[in-house]
Amino acid sequence: MSGATAVAGAVQIVGGIALAPLLPGLVQSFKARLQGRRGASPGQPYRELRRLWGKSAVAVEGTTVLYRLAPAVVAAALATGVLLVPVGGRAPDWPVGADALVLIGLLTLARFTVTLAAWDTGSGFALMGAGRDLAYSVFVEGLLLLALVLAALPGGSTDLRALSDAAGGSDRWGEPAHWCALLAFGLVVLAETGRQPIDNPDTHLELTMIHEGPLLEYAGRDLAYLQWAAAARHWIVLVLGAELFLPHGGSFWVRLATLAVALPALCAALAVTETWQAKMRILRVPRFLAAGAGIALLGLVSWYLGGGA
Amino acid sequence: MSAVAVVALAGSGLLAAGGLAALRARLLGAALSLQVAGISLLGGSGAAVVLGAAPVGSGFTGAVEPTFGIDGLSGFFLASLALVAVPALVFAHGYLPGSAGASAVAALTAAFIGSLAGVVAARDIISFLGFWELMTLVPAAAILVSHREERARRTVFVYLAVTHLGGVGVWVAMLALARYGAFADPGALGQDAQLLVALAALVGFGTKAGLMPFHSWLPRAHPVAPSHVSALMSGMMIKVALYGLVRVSFEWLPEPTLWLGLVLLGLGLLSSLGGVLYALVQHDLKRLLAFHSIENVGIIALGLGASLLFAHEGEALWASVAFAAALLHTLNHAVFKALLFLGAGAFDRAVHELDLDRLGGLLRRMPWTGAAFAVGAAAIAGLPPLNGFASEWLTLQTLLHLAGLGSLGIGVAGGLATAGLGATVALAVYCFVKVVGLVLLGPPRSREVAEAVEAPLSMRAAVVFLAGLCVLLGVLPGLLLPRLAGLAPDGASLPTHGGLELPGTGALPAPALAVTLILLTGALLLARGRRAAAPAPAWACGQLVEPALSWTSAGFTKPLRLMLEAVLRPERTVTARIEGGVVQEIAYEGEVPHLFDTKLYRPVVRIASAGAAQARRLQSGSLRAYVLYLLALVLALLVLVRTGALG
Repeated sequence: MSGATAVAGAVQIVGGIALAPLLPGLVQSFKARLQGRRGASPGQPYRELRRLWGKSAVAVEGTTVLYRLAPAVVAAALATGVLLVPVGGRAPDWPVGADALVLIGLLTLARFTVTLAAWDTGSGFALMGAGRDLAYSVFVEGLLLLALVLAALPGGSTDLRALSDAAGGSDRWGEPAHWCALLAFGLVVLAETGRQPIDNPDTHLELTMIHEGPLLEYAGRDLAYLQWAAAARHWIVLVLGAELFLPHGGSFWVRLATLAVALPALCAALAVTETWQAKMRILRVPRFLAAGAGIALLGLVSWYLGGGA
Repeated sequence: MSAVAVVALAGSGLLAAGGLAALRARLLGAALSLQVAGISLLGGSGAAVVLGAAPVGSGFTGAVEPTFGIDGLSGFFLASLALVAVPALVFAHGYLPGSAGASAVAALTAAFIGSLAGVVAARDIISFLGFWELMTLVPAAAILVSHREERARRTVFVYLAVTHLGGVGVWVAMLALARYGAFADPGALGQDAQLLVALAALVGFGTKAGLMPFHSWLPRAHPVAPSHVSALMSGMMIKVALYGLVRVSFEWLPEPTLWLGLVLLGLGLLSSLGGVLYALVQHDLKRLLAFHSIENVGIIALGLGASLLFAHEGEALWASVAFAAALLHTLNHAVFKALLFLGAGAFDRAVHELDLDRLGGLLRRMPWTGAAFAVGAAAIAGLPPLNGFASEWLTLQTLLHLAGLGSLGIGVAGGLATAGLGATVALAVYCFVKVVGLVLLGPPRSREVAEAVEAPLSMRAAVVFLAGLCVLLGVLPGLLLPRLAGLAPDGASLPTHGGLELPGTGALPAPALAVTLILLTGALLLARGRRAAAPAPAWACGQLVEPALSWTSAGFTKPLRLMLEAVLRPERTVTARIEGGVVQEIAYEGEVPHLFDTKLYRPVVRIASAGAAQARRLQSGSLRAYVLYLLALVLALLVLVRTGALG
């Protein structure tokens, strides 16, 4: 294993686990600035995690073992997912592989577990959020896979490292397929991170919660795991976005530096969308995502019409 | 005679003896044990051939004397059959005694298993078609024996009508193949005959497999059968139909045709999305599971279609990987669907109710059955590290690589199929979150459910065994992959790993993935510490959460029902009784009609009935009229001969 790969492995773990909460913190802080507020510092999620770690958890009456098991399973799935996401196009040969579809499977496992925990509590608010989350996921998965198809066209592989390499350099930017993939994945990022216009992470009204809904009953360390998992989800999709769809190239160190710039930039972009867009009506979201799928299909057609360069 | 043949013969003998013994009510337990031994031997002989023993018997012939044999493909289906049939029979040990027509159902079960084995082992056209018809008729008899009400009879009628009408395709395809001698030499089939055979096989085998739009019988017939027969029907019968389709499209048609691959891809996409979408809006557990069988047959068809397209493009490696993906999903679906149907049978026996909205909290009352059922649900939802994920991962990989194959048509088809399968998996997750939530979690929704007792040992053992298989096949799918890929025509040789490692993918190292997930979960649980959690009721804005107000199946899926209103066309009626300007009572009724029934089958049935009514005018029943018809026919023939029209 070369030095660069070892560094990449270290960044994966340190970044995915320790830096992940910084990403939602950054979005919130940028958003506050854009809205003319002073807002909390980007380190606020860390303070919340520390506070939750010191509090006792809540066991909802009438729940089974699944309810207390769920936060650990969700965090474990996300932590495994973090290992799959390369940084700077590199990752050591972790025993868990580096496949894009495995990563999607792990994210699905997390969603399954959280929504089951909602059933275990039997709380109407939790189930309302769970049902909406699962309904969105139908469209998001389809769109995500189309974006992946487009990303895999030049390299012919679903190995995330190969995908990242194939997307490097400036040639790709001359192809409409890449632009379409970028757009489609952008919509996936909004949905997966639970950001406006699809979900509102700041809401305190139970009836409008989607991703927050199933977490409603949790407290203490259980909630800390789940909040960390939400942050790790930000890390995974934003790093993937930067590695697969944003400009990069050159040596590993240059690419690492590019990533270090790209992540705050993506957080800023999320903050801008959140400020500029209101939350959409639930029934409009599928149309929004379907438009993304249409664009991705156009990208696929354009790839073949362009001779499959 | 080889050892494998002897074992297979002994197995068939034991199975037949088990069937006969079941006719004596006293011998029910012994008869079922004999059947278990018989099918185990048959499955063992099949597995031996898959693992490298020499095939038994000759190739398929169009001759009329009965011939049997086991080659790799038959062996695989026999082994899968045994993996489903053994737990189903063990389950029947606890399930059958005391139910209506127990010994007749046990005897029919043996006949059913025998006919399934007969279809895959037949090597001549007459045995094949004979066992094929038996395979259709025997479960119908089992349903009639165990249910005597009008509704079940009606269901059996629809089942027989649809499968026999569709089954004509099987006869046409097989007889045409025999007529041209294509079993021995596929090249003997002309262009037109190829088209005929392929279309007839698609309709014939597709109907029996439950591919949309030929599926109408499936969600009716599977739920009414006794649970262990449902497990065999959903687990294996529809797969045996796919076996026929595989034989025709991969072996007996001269070369992989582009259109057949695309049609299979299209039907697969329709079945997988349509099946799971209708499954989602069901509220009867067994009917829901039946719709899921349509979905999974669709996923298998996607793999088969992709394999044909890869073969057509000359990509031998991916053609065999896609073929292996289809076979692996066949086995996986057989295992988890049998598990779910048996679990449903155990719940039914415990609480006499399968309406999802009236169950709840069964995980606490029936921990073994409940936990096994939950494993099956996670497996069918395609979650790592269980078996459903392994085969769906493989299928998705093949479709994704199909999208990059190099021509616009195939590329777009591959892209659409990839996205469609992704959405299908998400829908399956949605559906099984609902099922597990409503059946196993939350508060019990009726007094009977609150007092349910765990199933007897044999029923528990059957579902726990199948749950173990789900885990095993999920963690070590790679041990099977090279064997299955080798069964494809021009099968490529792949190295053996525990997980799935293929060029052009980032690999699915399933064993490492499972270990990592378990270790991390354990570590996180340890890190959380043993500090006691504070008990509290669920938050409902300060109100009491009452069972009557709890979330229902329809409520949970409402977001999707609204989003897809244009496709699903849900119907609802709200009637309010108002007296003196005050609302006294509100009744709400909602339903998602099955559009294939209302928009496709009903008009066809109406036209057919109208046609039959017209034809009936000819059948006056009067002898004079018939004598007149005969005279007219003779006269007409004479005229034709006279004018030279008949040569």
